[in-house]
Amino acid sequence: MKGRKNKVNPSNKVKHRKKYFESTKNRKKLLTTINFILLAMGSLLILSPVWWMISTSLKTMAEVMAYPPTFFPSKWNWQNYVRTWEAAPFNLYTINTVTITFLVVVGSVIVNSFIAYGFAKIPFKGKNILFALVLSTMMIPGFVTLIPQYVLFSHLQWVNTYYPLVIPSFFGSAFFIFLLRQFYMTIPNELIEAAKMEGASHFYIWRKIGMPLTKPALATVAIFSFNGAWNDFLGPLLYLNNENLYTLQLGLQVFKGQMSTQWNYLMAGSLLVLLPVIVLFFIFQKYFIQGINLQSGNK
Amino acid sequence: MSKKLFTNKQKEGLQGYIFILPWLVGFVVFTAGPLLFSFGASFSDYNVTSQMDFVGLDNYKTLLTDDQLFWTSLYNTFYFVLFSVPLTTLGAILLSALLNQDVPGMRFFRTIYYLPAILSGVGVYLLWMQLLEPGTGMVNTVLSWVGISGPNWLYDPNWTKPSLILMKLWSVGGSMLLYLASMQGVSKSLYEAAEMDGASRWKQFIHITIPMITPVIFFDIVTSLIGGFQIFQEAYVMSGNGDGGPVNSMLFYNLYMWKKAFETFDMGYAMAMSWILFIIVFIITIFNLKMAPRWVHYEGEEK
Amino acid sequence: MVISKKVFLLFLIAFLTLSGCAGFKTSNSKEAETNGEGKVVVNFWSFWGSEIRRPVIEKIVEDFNKSQDKIEVKHTFVPWGDIWTKELAAIAAGNPPDVVINDINGTALRGMKNQAMNLSGFLDKDDISERFYPELWKATLYEDESYGIPFNTDTRVLFYNKDAFKEAGLDPEKPPTTWAELEEYAAKLDKKNGDTYETMGFYPLFGVESDVWMLNANGKNFFDVDGNPNIHNKENVETLNWINSWKDKYGDNTINAFKSQIDSQQGNPFFNGKLGMFVNTPTFYTQIRDYAPDLNFGVAKLPERTEGSGNTSWGGGFVAEIPEGSKNSDEAWEFIKYLTDVEAQEYWAVKNFDNVANIEASEKAAQNKDMSEKDQLVYQMAVDNMEHTLLTPVPTYAPDFMGLIKPEIDSILLGKKSAEQGLKDGQSAVERLIEKNKK
Repeated sequence: MKGRKNKVNPSNKVKHRKKYFESTKNRKKLLTTINFILLAMGSLLILSPVWWMISTSLKTMAEVMAYPPTFFPSKWNWQNYVRTWEAAPFNLYTINTVTITFLVVVGSVIVNSFIAYGFAKIPFKGKNILFALVLSTMMIPGFVTLIPQYVLFSHLQWVNTYYPLVIPSFFGSAFFIFLLRQFYMTIPNELIEAAKMEGASHFYIWRKIGMPLTKPALATVAIFSFNGAWNDFLGPLLYLNNENLYTLQLGLQVFKGQMSTQWNYLMAGSLLVLLPVIVLFFIFQKYFIQGINLQSGNK
Repeated sequence: MSKKLFTNKQKEGLQGYIFILPWLVGFVVFTAGPLLFSFGASFSDYNVTSQMDFVGLDNYKTLLTDDQLFWTSLYNTFYFVLFSVPLTTLGAILLSALLNQDVPGMRFFRTIYYLPAILSGVGVYLLWMQLLEPGTGMVNTVLSWVGISGPNWLYDPNWTKPSLILMKLWSVGGSMLLYLASMQGVSKSLYEAAEMDGASRWKQFIHITIPMITPVIFFDIVTSLIGGFQIFQEAYVMSGNGDGGPVNSMLFYNLYMWKKAFETFDMGYAMAMSWILFIIVFIITIFNLKMAPRWVHYEGEEK
Repeated sequence: MVISKKVFLLFLIAFLTLSGCAGFKTSNSKEAETNGEGKVVVNFWSFWGSEIRRPVIEKIVEDFNKSQDKIEVKHTFVPWGDIWTKELAAIAAGNPPDVVINDINGTALRGMKNQAMNLSGFLDKDDISERFYPELWKATLYEDESYGIPFNTDTRVLFYNKDAFKEAGLDPEKPPTTWAELEEYAAKLDKKNGDTYETMGFYPLFGVESDVWMLNANGKNFFDVDGNPNIHNKENVETLNWINSWKDKYGDNTINAFKSQIDSQQGNPFFNGKLGMFVNTPTFYTQIRDYAPDLNFGVAKLPERTEGSGNTSWGGGFVAEIPEGSKNSDEAWEFIKYLTDVEAQEYWAVKNFDNVANIEASEKAAQNKDMSEKDQLVYQMAVDNMEHTLLTPVPTYAPDFMGLIKPEIDSILLGKKSAEQGLKDGQSAVERLIEKNKK
């Protein structure tokens, strides 16, 4: 193909183009290599703060505070991780956090896609106004409703339980509704019309067409909501009074003192808390990497 | 076929309401009450525990005419949004483009770039405070390797906001996820056709990829704007327990609101502040929505 | 997402079992008024979760619980800072904890806003006000009624390196007593290598901030007894100019470098003689004990600005308060009485090397046999310094005045404004604030 172009474009262009790049295959290889190098360099930059966390977590407090600071711990104190885990009932906190997170993710993925489909593909009166209302709820700074909501939950007897942390995700969240709605709107209307012709209800269309076609978006919602729940600090802080209901993020606070912070344990703890999220992300990548052909009309 | 009790259109409309019912219920039960309360309280001198007398528009008047910190915090917030939103959006798009290729080790790269987005919590902010130490922090150390003498990041009022923008850029991998998911949905046949017409990779990117992912770009811009205006946690932790940094350079709108609410207990005043912010963000979002049809391309719609 | 039916069922079962777990019992929400044994439960929140402090407070709680059989105190750790947001929300909802540790300087404000319970009723029956340092007691009063009982406090003292003094030809038993002497001694302790300082004699903003020096300058707070702001005055201007002169002498680079070392704790240049004098809380001694046990150091009062102006130091502290709306306030009071009595206070003081509010406990702690001789020396100094220590309660009519003052001070110290101008602007800004709040 490139050869054809050469014949069409006269001499000056030929002079400026190295023959090596005429081959598409070689061009691709070069681009890939450049890409790889860029990504690798970027990775180093991105990872350096993370390395700092890891290195800090393996130092003794004395070394953490040493001046000038060292890049590598002189001795790799793996027992820091053990001591961190023992500093508070983290096993219990893990179970608590898993429970809450699991419920939040299930609720978020199912309910939000349900609601978003409604906003994206079903015409009904007042849709635009209601959607604007949904968006508006994102614009209110969270802690202005903090106290009134707390009072509300208190009247419902939900303080010191997991209900305030879990139940709202079964009623949709503006962020995810908006996100999924954008994805749903990329589904061609012809598909929907075709299904309706055959007598399908929207519920059926949602389950059999809408959900499968937006798998990458659903995976994204799953990851985001998992993150949100796993790392949620304010919710558990406000609503949980019993220490044996505490979650991981709350548990990490024991390392942060009024006078000084136990850096090494705090970093170790933060990394441990982080681990499940990374693992899940790594494993489930394929769900938003699978190519889905919308235009080919195969569905 | 169907009973003539409702027309087909009405039946469809009914289905629509059923679909959004969960959100409606949730809104009415959990959100509307507190929202209305906060709206009402903004016209009072509510302080949570001892008073709630009607004061009319006093709070709003004071904010707009007699509160220099209101304007300071608004300026700080606009500054942050103006820089961080375009930079992070562009960054995320470019990053996703790079990560959407068949490069060996892609899984690892994606995980690495996504890492900062899930590192959340106070630990990370404290970490960055260490990294930004002018004398010994890693940032300035690395800069010195390329011959740049780094500024007093968190101590120089001119550099505090750029520090936060830098931190935001580090976690640009978060929105990368969205773009990746979206780019995956672009049909390969489009690229193949373009390839056959001799379009370069760059041209393909500009003329196929970008237009097809505009719905998500739109989402990202709108949510980043909304989120950017609400920046709080970073400034709270990194300016010494929320005092707003040197010369109030990190006194963002939400931080100022927080201080008014939880340090001086002027809850009514703080709620008035939140509604002003709401109006600002609302106007900006409406503007975005109106401009959207000009550049956002929904494949499935005729719009 | 594609999950096989089996996996989904597994999850469902897990969920159903988990849902039986404590997290979903709404009965949790009603804090038990009495526990199974008929004792009244007192909910006590503190932010002391560290390895050092938590066991101490837990032991105090345990001792109280064992000492009687009518009340059971339940201690919960809530993170520093957020604990008070949570407390506020709980008060608003009408089910607050019964005892909370809160900052002493905000007590009057919280009293005014009805967040903390008025303790006069309890004090009429058990007047324990005499137990505490008068300055601390005063800070808990709003309209002459107390809203919190002082628990612990701190002060600021001057640590100095006796060996470095000797080396520089200064008398190690005679620390500087005035600002002028401070400058003079620091100059003698400085050691330069060409243009860089290898040893700094002293820098006023290491360990404390400028407001401590302004307090020291004239023994007066930013507000006088009638509530008028007293920010722009001769002594404050002089103080800020004085601090700037130190800044100009050493230069930003030196200061930043030394500051990083100080922040690193173990690498504090005071420990290896690179910093001659250092102001900090008496608890700093525990760091000397841990990181530089052989250091030959002395502790002294803060110097006076000029002879006779007073060795005023600054202190903060915490109170134990009963949030408004607590259902077990009588029992909460019993616990607070114990918490601030000699036995608990002395235990806290010795284990944490912390200044406590109870006068008798402080003095006993200084003689406590668990303290080494050096410990006792420093502790006694800390106790003695209470005489010169002032608190700075937040003014109820302008609670966030610092937000207006601090940027001015920042500008002054960055050289962007003159001290005269900056303080003047701060003064007028605060006056405006007070006017506004009067409405």
